[in-house]
Amino acid sequence: MNQLHIPLESTKLDNGLRVVISPDRTAPVATLGVYYNIGFRLEPRGRSGFAHLFEHMMFQGSEHAGKMMHIKLINSSGGVLNGSTHYDVTNYYESIPSNALERVLWLEADRMRALKVDDENLRNQRDVVKEEVRVNVLNQPYGGFPWLDLPPVAFRNWPNAHNFYGDFADLDAATLDDVQQFFYTYYSPSNAVLLMIGDVTPDEGFTLARRYFGSIPAGPPPPTADVSEASFEGLRRGEVEEKFGTLPAFAVGYRAPERRKPDWYALAMLDHALHGGRAGRVYRRLVLEQQIAVDTAGGIHYPVGDLFDYNGPTLLVSRVLHKPEYSSDQALEAYDAVIDAVCQQGIEQDELEQVKVKFRSEYVSSLEGGQGASIPRYGLMHYLACFTLFDNDPSLVNSILGGFLQVTREQVREAAQRYLDPKRRAIVFRQPTRTGVAA
Amino acid sequence: MMATIAMNDPFAQVPALGPERPVVWPARTHRKLANGLEIVLVESHTIPKFTGELYFRSGNASAVAQAPALAEITATVVRTGTEERSSRQIEEDLRRIGADIGTSAGADTSAIGFNGLVEFSLDLLKLVAELAQRASFRENEFERERRQMIEGLRIARTTPSFLANERMCRVLFGAHPYAIIAATESQVKEYRLAQLAEFYRAHYRPGNAVLIAVGDFAAPQMMEQIDRIFGSWKPAEVPGVPAVSLPRLRGRHVHLVHLAESVQTQVLVANHAITRKHPDWLRLALANSIYGGAFNSRLIMNIREQKGYTYSPRSSVHALRQYGYFTVNAAVRNDVVAATLTEIFYELDRMRSLAVAEDELSDARTYMSGVFSLGLATQDGLASQLSNVYLYDLPEDYVETLRQRVRALTAADVLAAARAYFDSANAQIIIVGDRRQIADQVGLFGQITEYDAEPN
Repeated sequence: MNQLHIPLESTKLDNGLRVVISPDRTAPVATLGVYYNIGFRLEPRGRSGFAHLFEHMMFQGSEHAGKMMHIKLINSSGGVLNGSTHYDVTNYYESIPSNALERVLWLEADRMRALKVDDENLRNQRDVVKEEVRVNVLNQPYGGFPWLDLPPVAFRNWPNAHNFYGDFADLDAATLDDVQQFFYTYYSPSNAVLLMIGDVTPDEGFTLARRYFGSIPAGPPPPTADVSEASFEGLRRGEVEEKFGTLPAFAVGYRAPERRKPDWYALAMLDHALHGGRAGRVYRRLVLEQQIAVDTAGGIHYPVGDLFDYNGPTLLVSRVLHKPEYSSDQALEAYDAVIDAVCQQGIEQDELEQVKVKFRSEYVSSLEGGQGASIPRYGLMHYLACFTLFDNDPSLVNSILGGFLQVTREQVREAAQRYLDPKRRAIVFRQPTRTGVAA
Repeated sequence: MMATIAMNDPFAQVPALGPERPVVWPARTHRKLANGLEIVLVESHTIPKFTGELYFRSGNASAVAQAPALAEITATVVRTGTEERSSRQIEEDLRRIGADIGTSAGADTSAIGFNGLVEFSLDLLKLVAELAQRASFRENEFERERRQMIEGLRIARTTPSFLANERMCRVLFGAHPYAIIAATESQVKEYRLAQLAEFYRAHYRPGNAVLIAVGDFAAPQMMEQIDRIFGSWKPAEVPGVPAVSLPRLRGRHVHLVHLAESVQTQVLVANHAITRKHPDWLRLALANSIYGGAFNSRLIMNIREQKGYTYSPRSSVHALRQYGYFTVNAAVRNDVVAATLTEIFYELDRMRSLAVAEDELSDARTYMSGVFSLGLATQDGLASQLSNVYLYDLPEDYVETLRQRVRALTAADVLAAARAYFDSANAQIIIVGDRRQIADQVGLFGQITEYDAEPN
């Protein structure tokens, strides 16, 4: 029960590209991904939003597959595709009928080998990205809350503290030279992992990987970067205007431990006890019982990531939308009482047992899903990629559960005291400029 | 040397597609209990879990004479208590067995969705049965959820996509119950707990329900378990949905919902279309995929990849049980609203005027049948394909034969579907944005009726 048995095989090509294959013949389909060990944390200064803009450029053409060819070749093979930029990785992935496997590897290898884009492509995608930022952030209630609001308040080192979606002035300043430079610096085979999940045999997969990726030059290793962050001293507060939404809101961020440190397992259990759905202490107390809040949520590396997909400083986040008849101070006080209780008494034994079952259940589901049914086993691919790039051990996907299921009450209480310190945290308030009349 | 390299260059040509492996829909078990409950089971052993829904064929449309969105608030309150368990007990019991439940309602259905570890399937199904038969409708839970709904609505009414959908349904459906997708604040304040309990008593009945479950179980044992848990559920006659005809919409009309300070404009073009049972459904679905339903479709290549007006334009075919409709959506920057509408109509009219070329047609057929096969790899994917069959009364072999029916479609089919259902001459144009920035652009496309974001 503590150990899964997902079949895995992996190898490393001469140029440093790691290849991980997890065969499964349930249906004649496969999910493929290429993950690069670069995300928005390390984009160049003065170029906020660049890693994500660059991700868009990877769909704009490579030496043998010009603009629109990439998308057309996948769709016309019966497949779907996308990419996404995270803190520390950027991924490109496809789900396809398995008879298109070779074609997809050809396409992914071609763009790893020779991205070929021009100024017109860059202008086009800059416009597209601006509309993406508008539709997701600038023209939505609670847009970017709190994933864009907390980092600049919580952190001091630019890689952790800047606007990851990008200031429009920075997007405008990006040049084709920047694109090529970023490509040569970070998009080399030795800084990547190729994953094949589903209807593919390891023999077939490794052979095709060598055929298409084997001749790509290794390239120099990317420069080492300092993403370290001094620990919090004191309370850091910020305020952001909420232009559309009608409820006041706040988000709290506590520094989270490094992945796979003993505290990390304990804090994950505590996080689940606090933020795990309607049974979680924060929702139960603030929404269901006291009825001060209307919605609460949270998690480690929440909301644009999770427990497994970061490799640098991050936060344990709580997000609270509360009724306008309560002041921010009153709502925060109610939240603090919940936090204070776990710091003083920890959680109950029965509660910890429940959390462990739920955690195991959610982990298994996240491997099969993660992006809805159209990308089968996206989650398995995603975790395999992170465990390969960050830990050099894809088999952690099978063994990692054990560490969570061994956590004790005492460890949870210690983690609460160590990390949920009301004197060392960041808080951002979202204050609506218009508020509905109280019911 | 150069010649040798060129000859062996694996990049010189796009690799051909390999031979296809057969796509086989897993066997299913389908049975009706004596009390009328329909049960559909499919085994899928990918993960040690199971997932499913208990659907009732009654949603907000069934309750429109009592109150708007009554099915929705009923579903919300259903999960907050049963005769045996308090709200807190339900939530903790779910966590104890690693399960999730979601209760919801749309226009046509109310549903209790569930997923959990198979080792606890008995406990989870017992809870589902309790929620379906013995929800307790406590006053304090209801009052909390009422307030939650009001706060949710206030936020929804600042969300461009919600405002566009709400207005579109009012325009397309007129006096039909489908016109109302959400209650107003004052209507929510008027709900009475007895109305919820009455809707529940009348519609949460076995003869009105289908239970779909997919997962890592043995179907015969699961069927036995379900029979034991749900077999004693009392049947009753369920009131039907009133049949109301739709407004006849002639000519383009612009419906402008003013949302002050919008830095982007939500464009939505819509017209009446067909249900999933209609013989033209797949023809229309294929035409939609070529027009704006896939990443490499004409609309997306045009207004995103060539012109950069928008991030995620998309056209879709929607089917409710009684009626269907076609939509084109794009969130665009404020100064290209007229330009976007021009391209939307240009591409619609091109689909209506000219037959698609053979290669574009063949690509689209492969896309549709390929994407369908992706759904077979996961429990969620199988469950969602199954629910289409049983909620929309499709033929029993619908999913098994879908790929071969898609592959038989022709350019003439696509052209006929576009002419019938891409009704560009009578399209309704819904615009959500700041009127000061866009009114003169949209006036070019039809007479404007203006609305505020607040419906009260």
